[in-house]
Amino acid sequence: MQYEVIVVGAGHAGCEAALAAARMGATTALITLQSQAIARMSCNPAVGGIAKSHIVCEIDSLGGEMARNTDYTGIQFRTLNTKKGPAVQAFRVQCDKDAYSLRMQAVVRAAPNLSVIEAAVDGLQCHSGRVCGVVLNDQSVIQANTVILTTGTFLRGMIHIGAKQYPGGRNGEPAVPNLSLQLRQMGFRIGRLKTGTPPRIRKESIAWEKLSVQPGEEPPSFFSDEVRQEQMFHVEHCESGSSLESSCGRSGQALFHVEQSALRPWSPGWCQVPCYITHTTTETHAIIRENLSKSSMYGGNITGTGVRYCPSIEDKIVKFADKDSHHVFLEPEGRTHPDIYPNGTSNSLPEDIQERMIRSIPGMERAVFSKWAYAIEYDFCDPTQLFHSLESKIIEGLYMAGQINGTTGYEEAAGQGFLAGVNAVRKCRGLNSWTLSRTESYIGVLIDDLVTKGTNEPYRMFTSRAEYRLLLRQDNACFRMLPHAKEIGIVGSEVLNRWQRQAQEIRTEIARLEKTASQAGTLAQMLRRTGVSYADLNGALPLDSKVVEQVEIEVKYAGYITRESQQALKLQQIDSQLIPNWINYDSIQTLRYECREKLKRLRPESIGQAARISGVTPADIAILAIVIKRGEGTR
Amino acid sequence: MKADSDTIAAIATAPGEGAISVVRVSGPGSLEIADRIFRCRGPLPSQRAGGSFVYGYVIHEGTVADEGLLLIYRAPRSYTREDSIEIQGHGGSAASQRILRAILDAGARPANPGEFTQRAFLNGRIDLLQAEAVLDLIRARSDRAAAAALDQMEGRLSRIFGLMYDRLLRLAAEMEATLDFGDEELPPTILQDVALRLQAVEQEMALVLSTWGEGHLLREGALVVIGGKPNVGKSTLLNSLLGTQRAIVNQVPGTTRDTIEEHMVIDGYPVRIVDTAGLRDTDCEVEGEGIRRARHSIQKADILIYMMDASGEVDEEDLAALRAKDEGHTIILANKSDLAISESIRSYMTKTTVIACSLVRNEGIAEIKQRIADQLKSQSSSIHHSAISERHRKILVLAIKDIQEALLILRDKDAEIPLASSHIRSALEHLGEANGRVYHEELLQNIFSRFCIGK
Repeated sequence: MQYEVIVVGAGHAGCEAALAAARMGATTALITLQSQAIARMSCNPAVGGIAKSHIVCEIDSLGGEMARNTDYTGIQFRTLNTKKGPAVQAFRVQCDKDAYSLRMQAVVRAAPNLSVIEAAVDGLQCHSGRVCGVVLNDQSVIQANTVILTTGTFLRGMIHIGAKQYPGGRNGEPAVPNLSLQLRQMGFRIGRLKTGTPPRIRKESIAWEKLSVQPGEEPPSFFSDEVRQEQMFHVEHCESGSSLESSCGRSGQALFHVEQSALRPWSPGWCQVPCYITHTTTETHAIIRENLSKSSMYGGNITGTGVRYCPSIEDKIVKFADKDSHHVFLEPEGRTHPDIYPNGTSNSLPEDIQERMIRSIPGMERAVFSKWAYAIEYDFCDPTQLFHSLESKIIEGLYMAGQINGTTGYEEAAGQGFLAGVNAVRKCRGLNSWTLSRTESYIGVLIDDLVTKGTNEPYRMFTSRAEYRLLLRQDNACFRMLPHAKEIGIVGSEVLNRWQRQAQEIRTEIARLEKTASQAGTLAQMLRRTGVSYADLNGALPLDSKVVEQVEIEVKYAGYITRESQQALKLQQIDSQLIPNWINYDSIQTLRYECREKLKRLRPESIGQAARISGVTPADIAILAIVIKRGEGTR
Repeated sequence: MKADSDTIAAIATAPGEGAISVVRVSGPGSLEIADRIFRCRGPLPSQRAGGSFVYGYVIHEGTVADEGLLLIYRAPRSYTREDSIEIQGHGGSAASQRILRAILDAGARPANPGEFTQRAFLNGRIDLLQAEAVLDLIRARSDRAAAAALDQMEGRLSRIFGLMYDRLLRLAAEMEATLDFGDEELPPTILQDVALRLQAVEQEMALVLSTWGEGHLLREGALVVIGGKPNVGKSTLLNSLLGTQRAIVNQVPGTTRDTIEEHMVIDGYPVRIVDTAGLRDTDCEVEGEGIRRARHSIQKADILIYMMDASGEVDEEDLAALRAKDEGHTIILANKSDLAISESIRSYMTKTTVIACSLVRNEGIAEIKQRIADQLKSQSSSIHHSAISERHRKILVLAIKDIQEALLILRDKDAEIPLASSHIRSALEHLGEANGRVYHEELLQNIFSRFCIGK
């Protein structure tokens, strides 16, 4: 069987890649070590958070699955940064991690053109610089036009607990030993990164009464446009005979809300489950300090670079020595799941020390461990060897997404996975690649940063990485993504038409407010006043809430939005100046040697991208621009 | 590639006091600006043909800024292939600065270094050979920059801007942290702290700006320092050059205890001339401080006039002071040549150029002025910076405005940090333009940024 697209790995990147490809009509195979591990939440049982939330909304608007999957399996919904304005507002949803995985499995199985293959991939099959399939560990070959690698932490994964270390891709799962070695032979630069996860504690061993409660918010805020809409008139049921369930082929097993029979009629976001907050004590810190040398990270076993922004508890205690307490969030792993996830206690200490350390935290004095915390080191590929389409520059038709590119986080992975999936299909169809710009999306910022600057630590998204924060809000994701969603064709035309209509209504209404006079200035000027909302305006129209929300934001922040739009336009201009293929950096003697080497190594796609490479100066860009201009003149 | 559609202006003539100065304007708004600032008989400038010229007055804020000729170029028949005007006014920096101000206030923006040439290139006016020449020039310029010998005043400005940029960047980072991390992870007073430090940066920038006036800039010119041991006639030289009795002249060695600064124009160049305390070992605290300042001035000087007594000895102290300065930046005088010239001085004069003079008899003043002018001419690129400064001034004004807006937002207890942050980012962009630390929008403008302005 010859597939158009093979996706290796069924994590958050892999699922989006495979679904996007299949939904675009490509024959797709999703290869995973075990199908129950599809969309497994290996670490925290939550989706979203500051800046990541933006990515989730963009994925949703483009036709991806993460937002819907989160909303349908969420058990606690919160909005962050509520007082800091719309630009940085973000949703964060705790999910039932089993339900999350089960629902995604059902969606994957139900998707047309998509086969799930349980196998271990040992290597790629290539022919004259082009990928043509994958080799399994039994040496059989599956042919494909394109291959997307979404291997997470599995490439030569090494798990560390204290002085113990053993190969593994994730807790209880084997590592993939050979693939990254082959990639290295092909010329990919392979590096090593580290991440970690906290222990899991049995729910019943926690003294909840001692802890402060963090409830979810009502009504819940959903990532997904569809869920927001459907809530009004339709409920995604899981009763026997429903299409999702029958396609899942697991008769009788509820999919994603295990106890939903008790909650009938069930709808997303109903009956939320709280998180609890506790904190480390001076005793906790003393235990960690005394045993630092036993930690695999501080004992010297780990060479990979860790996540600076999601530090292990050892890191926190060493680097912020003056703080005598850190928050620990106790997050349920599911409605009925027996474990809680003690967010903030990731470590690589030996088991006995983990136990003493956790038990020094209020509420966990009698903690029973169901899984030990561990650190994991894994191989990643230097992402500057990729185009903005996430296709590799070395092997044609080979794409990479997620942790293999040096990122951390489900959302970052999913965004890349979706884009890689779309591009793999476009490659098969002979279409040009589809990319997102920094000026229009967080996914664009993420990918441009990766392929332009590379990374030497796990890359996480922040709002400060985006230059045009007032433009790239999560609330306007569907309008930002609208032209792309149309181009890709996964989102249904009914939805697209609604967005289109709303976008038009927003423009019309803003124009009306700008020119309609009221008692003091125009209506737009009235709306700009603090505390004035659209409904307060004389002559407010009965528009739908999405339109009203956008009109309010666009009018109130008009000055900032205009300025950022102008800046964004300039960036788009230099980004649209492509560097032609005939360019030969070695022949440009006027370029500094260092700069020539960088350009040769990175092969930027546009003048704009070249300018963003660190160490490339405006004078270098000037020379480059002139050489291109001159070359075009003579060609 | 297309050039920008805005209108730029700069003084095009070389520094110094020539007979005329030329201010050049290019871009689609050129003729409209001419209509606004230029009064002449007959039709408005924009009604006139390309290639024509007309006599008239430049009007700024209701008064006549200068009189002169207006030359009109219509696209594509101009250096840049855009609509252009040139105003030929009176020579001298003050007059051309006034014309430039009038043009900028009428809607043009100051040209970046080399921007006229950049436009000429982008609009296809420059051919391949010329483009090659430009490449070489960029290369030559950056090599010189690498040798760290470029341009003193620009270097000073860059340093100031660089420091402000760094401080602002740190504040921006802290502000951004409050957006990307939960409150529990950050110090509770972080925003108040940022606001305080931001205010300090704003004050510092305002201070730099306040010392920026046009007059100051013109006076800023070249720094000429008179140095030498006590009682060799340094103050007399200052007075002779100025033709006034600015410095106290006294027979007692060590009369000048502080540095004295005066301004004058030599052959069209604005010059700051500094008389320093005589260099000698002293126990007197006040005099010691004067000597310390003298050494400092000598270090910074564009030209050091080092004076010796013609009848005295050239000793190690003199040689040490002279070694501190390049030959091209030094003029050596042997004063009191009417008395007697010692053997030591005579033998020194065989090895190096020394001007013998007698200031009490007014002999040698003309030669000294000529030497100053010659040296200024050869160094002129590092001395006259009014045009570059105008650009820096504008950047500073914009950055301060952004910081003030940010402070205004932060004052509110429900401040929306992303908005304040947006202003700080914008201020950073402005400051970065001065140092080439922001690539993005200034990219093409930066193309020829190390290229001589106005060309």
